[in-house]
Parts: sequence; C-alpha cells; structure tokens
Amino acid sequence: MTTLPLTFLALAFGAEPTALDALKAYDALMAPPHFKAVTKMTAHRDDGSTREYRMTVLKGEGDKSRIWFSEPAAVRGQEMLRNGENLWVYMPNLKRALRLASRESFQGGDFNNADIMRADYAADYDATLEVDPSSPDTWLLKLKAKTKDASYDSIKLWVQKAPLGMPVKGEYFTASGKLLRSAKFSEVKDFGHGATRPSLITMRNELATQRFSELVFDSLDVTAPAPDSKFALADLGR
Amino acid sequence: MWTLLAMAWRNVRRNRRRTLITLAAMVVGVGAVIAVRGVLNGLQAGIIRTSAEGQLGALQVHRAGYLDNILSTPLTMDFPVEPALLDRLRDVQGVRAVSPRIQFAGSIAKSVPAEEELPEALFFTALAVDPKTEPAVCPLRKDAYLDGTRFDDAHLVLGSALAESLAAKVDDEVVLLAPDKDGSLNGEVARVGGSMHALLPGEPKVAVVPLALAQRLLRMEGRATELAVAVDDLRDIDAVKPRLAEALGPEWEVHTWLEVVPERQLIMRLQDGVSAIVSVVFLVLMLLGVANTTLMAVLERTREVGTMLSLGLTRAQVMALFLLEALVLGALGATGGLLLASGFVARFAHGGLQFRAPGATQPFDVLPFLTLPFTLVVLAVAVLGSVLFALYPARRASRLRPVEALAGR
Repeated sequence: MTTLPLTFLALAFGAEPTALDALKAYDALMAPPHFKAVTKMTAHRDDGSTREYRMTVLKGEGDKSRIWFSEPAAVRGQEMLRNGENLWVYMPNLKRALRLASRESFQGGDFNNADIMRADYAADYDATLEVDPSSPDTWLLKLKAKTKDASYDSIKLWVQKAPLGMPVKGEYFTASGKLLRSAKFSEVKDFGHGATRPSLITMRNELATQRFSELVFDSLDVTAPAPDSKFALADLGR
Repeated sequence: MWTLLAMAWRNVRRNRRRTLITLAAMVVGVGAVIAVRGVLNGLQAGIIRTSAEGQLGALQVHRAGYLDNILSTPLTMDFPVEPALLDRLRDVQGVRAVSPRIQFAGSIAKSVPAEEELPEALFFTALAVDPKTEPAVCPLRKDAYLDGTRFDDAHLVLGSALAESLAAKVDDEVVLLAPDKDGSLNGEVARVGGSMHALLPGEPKVAVVPLALAQRLLRMEGRATELAVAVDDLRDIDAVKPRLAEALGPEWEVHTWLEVVPERQLIMRLQDGVSAIVSVVFLVLMLLGVANTTLMAVLERTREVGTMLSLGLTRAQVMALFLLEALVLGALGATGGLLLASGFVARFAHGGLQFRAPGATQPFDVLPFLTLPFTLVVLAVAVLGSVLFALYPARRASRLRPVEALAGR
C-alpha cells in the first residue's frame, strides 16, 4: 500500500508503470482495504430464466470478507465468510458453517466464490504488462496463477492507462488455455470518498454461452467500520 | 463308401502317436475357443445384469434433452412425480416396475459437535433413489452394499472411495451441501447407513441417497429428474423402448441402459472382436496341423497309393480316402474339444468364477455358459476345415502315377 503514492507520483511524471503497479492499482480500485457494499447479483440461465440475489458485503483488512444474503427467500439468512485462504458458508437451517472451494460457482451463477469474495490479484498472480494494439487506451495485464488455489489458472485483464488499473474487460482461462469466462466492467460510478469504480460487472459463461451473471454495486462505503470481530467463524449467524 | 470309411479309420489308427499329437492340438484348440467364449458369455451377462438390474435400470426416462445437458444444469429438467405419470409407464406392455430418481452433485462432510469446526467437505456425485420403490427396479443394487448396510429415508450409502476419504462409520452424522434446482446453496443432515463396493476400478466419489432427503436438499419436493424402468424380460428391452416413448410423447426421452453407458457396449464389442481374432488364429493353426498330418501320411504311403491305384481304385476313391481320414481326425478332435470345454463350463456354471477388476472392491461372479450357434459354428469349422485343409495332400495323392508310385517316387 505504501508504494501506491510513489506509483502515482511516478506516473504523474509520465513514467511507464510496471505490471505490478498496474495490478496493485486494479486491486486498490476493486477491493479497497475495507468497505461495506450493497450489491445485487442476477444469474441469467440457459433457459432464459433469471434469479436475483441481494446481499451486503463487508470487507476487512487482510483478505477478510463477509456476505449477508437477504434475497431470495431460499438463501435468506445464509452468510459467507472469507478469511485468507479459507471460505465458509453458514447455513441457517443447520446452524453450521461449511467449507466452500474458491473455484465453485457463487450461488449457481457464473462468478466463482473467489470472484466475489477475494480480489487480491497481486498476491495470487504473477503479472506481465503488454500493449494491445487494438486498444490503445488500455494496458493488457497477463496474469499467471502463483498457486493451484488461485481462482483461475490464467487471466487477461484490460485496464485503463488513466486512471491506471480501471478495468475494462477480462478473460479467464483454465490450465489448458481454454476460455472459461469473460467479464465486462462498466458504468463507472463515484461512490464517494474517492471510491470511483465500475458499478456493473457482467460475467459471461464461455462454456454455456447462454449463461451470464451481472453484479451491480448499489452502494460502496469505504468509511464503514469493519472490525476483526465481524470476521470470526463464531460470529456467523449472529 | 463304408469300406473307405472303415479304411480311413484303420489308417488313422496306424500311426497312433502322430494321430494323438494331432488330436491333442485339436482338443486344446477347439476346447479353448469354446471355453473362452463361454467365460466371455458369463462375463458379458454379468455386465448386463449388474448394469440393468443393479445400477441403471433397464430403461431410463427423462425430460427430452436431459442426457445432452447432463453436464450443465440437469436439475432444471425436472418434473413432478405424479401417480398418473407412473401409471402411464406401468401400463406399457413389458414394463415391470418404475422408480423416480435424481442425480446431483454436491459436497459432503462428516459432522462434528456444534462447537467444533466442520472438516473439509468432499465433492461427490449422488444418485437419489426411493428406498421403497427402487428395489423393484434394481434388485441387485443391494448386492453391492456391505453387510449390515441400512438404506432408508434417514440413511445414505457411501461408495467405498467416499467412505474411506471421509473416514465415516455406520451411523455417523454427515452434512450435505449442494446447489439447489435454482443454483442456491442448501444444506441437509443425514446419517451414514453403510458403504457399498466399487464395481469398477477408479470409481469416483459417489453415494446413494434417499430420494426424500435429496428433494429437501435440492428444494425439489415431489419432483425427480429420472424414472428408472424395469422390464419383464431384458431381451425385450428394444421392443419396450418404442412402446414407452409412444405412451409418453415427444416431451420425454427414453433410453436403454446401453445408450446411457455406450462405453460398456464398446467394451463388450471389443471383447467379442478380440476373442473372434484369437479363435480364428487358434483354429487355423490347428487345421494346419491336420493338413501337415495328412501330407505326411500321403508321402509315407506313396507305394501304398500306387498299389491301390494298380488294384483298380479310382483317383476319386483315393482322394476320398485321405479326405475321410482328415474328417475322422477332425470329428474326433472336435468332439474331444467340446467335451473338454463343456466340462470346464459345467464346473463353474453354478459356483461361478470370481473376477475382481484391479482396484475394484467388489468381486464379480462370472457364470460361464455356452450358446448353441457359436458352438456349432466352431465344431463345423473344426470338422469341415479339417477336410478343406486336407484337400491339397489328398489331391496330390490322387494324382500319383501308379508305376512311379509303386517305385516309391
């Protein structure tokens, strides 16, 4: 985090950013150190039907996050918790938390759990910076997973040159290089307190191309308190 | 003719050692070909029975398009299990029983006291069946269950690989987590009723789950994705299929178990192909032995042939004599081979030969049996083939000039 002001300083003098600079700028935009957001995910399925999830997301320092689901009725009372590498879902009917895998689909949509619950790409991926001639205003970040636990094996991420790191689109691949998902980041919105970022992420399923999911940020409050106590396993369901 | 046959019989017995060696080759050849086919018959009948009556059901009914979509979201292709629908299937001629099922995937973890954190969940695929109606469709399913296994509305049965990974014992509580029909997560608690053998090696993590539990977990009360159908006679399966399809209409699809697991048909075809090639090689080698024996006899008995021709036997009669000798050899060898194979098959026809696929935990009982058409073809090839392979030496004998033959040239 301390390198960030330096990065911006360097950029102000027109220096070319490094891949890590661009990736950290992306992380800073998409996952501020802590925030509280009210979001809506709509899963569009093969048969044209949709399912809408409403949830509150709380992110704390150090890769911790928690989600409270309020809609639909089937998942009301469910919660998800991420703490570092660990991910749990709390089932109100069982009054228990069960472990989830990062790569599993998030509530049957086209995002995976890590897409929603973890955005620390700089920690999970090695990046190279390239120029995409067809898109002069963006850098093409090529990310390669550092570990098997990363949510994708490789990612191509197009981010704006200014403001640096603002995502435009992404492509997400399997180990064999097969395109799994593609994302579009749009409707950049000023959420206040310097938080300006895309408010709509559209994730298209490239294996079942009729399917896609939309994630809309209704609000994003980077001043909301996020005490560590909210990210304890024992706090789920309370 | 009878005189010639009697002479042929005597000639065959003249060089006993050579005849016995040739016969031994024939008995082993014919015996092995028939016995191997008998074992293969038993193995394939076992595969068919286990597949149709222990796992899949003879026929499966789904909403149209289900099998093509099995990798994406098959739970959305569900339907209400209504008595009228089940009756419509049961009324089809040749249908013996019907039972609803759901196939789904989820994760499972062994339960621990509430204050402790649950261990890592394992991904598994489940077949949900109705404990009351499933036995009528797949009566052999319980054969795979370990002794003392309970399967009812509260107890599920774990595949051996899954039971081992979970380290779960009978009556342990487990927590199931799965995306429901709409993709939303849901969880349910169940008890382990026991575990079941893996039929084939490398079995993935599987479980058989009571239907009612699956319906709660998947939020699909009263619904299913599959109807398993048993038929009166497995041999009529291809006749029952179109009748079912007609009774149900275009919104449904009907598949035989072989269409659901085409790789098993491929395996059986491969077995048939390999055994056919081996059989042909065996029989040809054996028949070349007969040809060799006949040729030796002709060469040894050149003077004798000369004498016969001088005494007034026609060339056709000489040729017939040697062909009859080959026929006698062939008939004796084929009979011996048949007796050997029958003895082997009879020995194991009831007790069964126990096979165990490497890595599988369930021994596979093979009850060998013979079929008339195949056996008759092999016997005919052995007998007629002997005559056919003796044509060249016999013809050679019949073409000898009496004077030169008498001189031994």
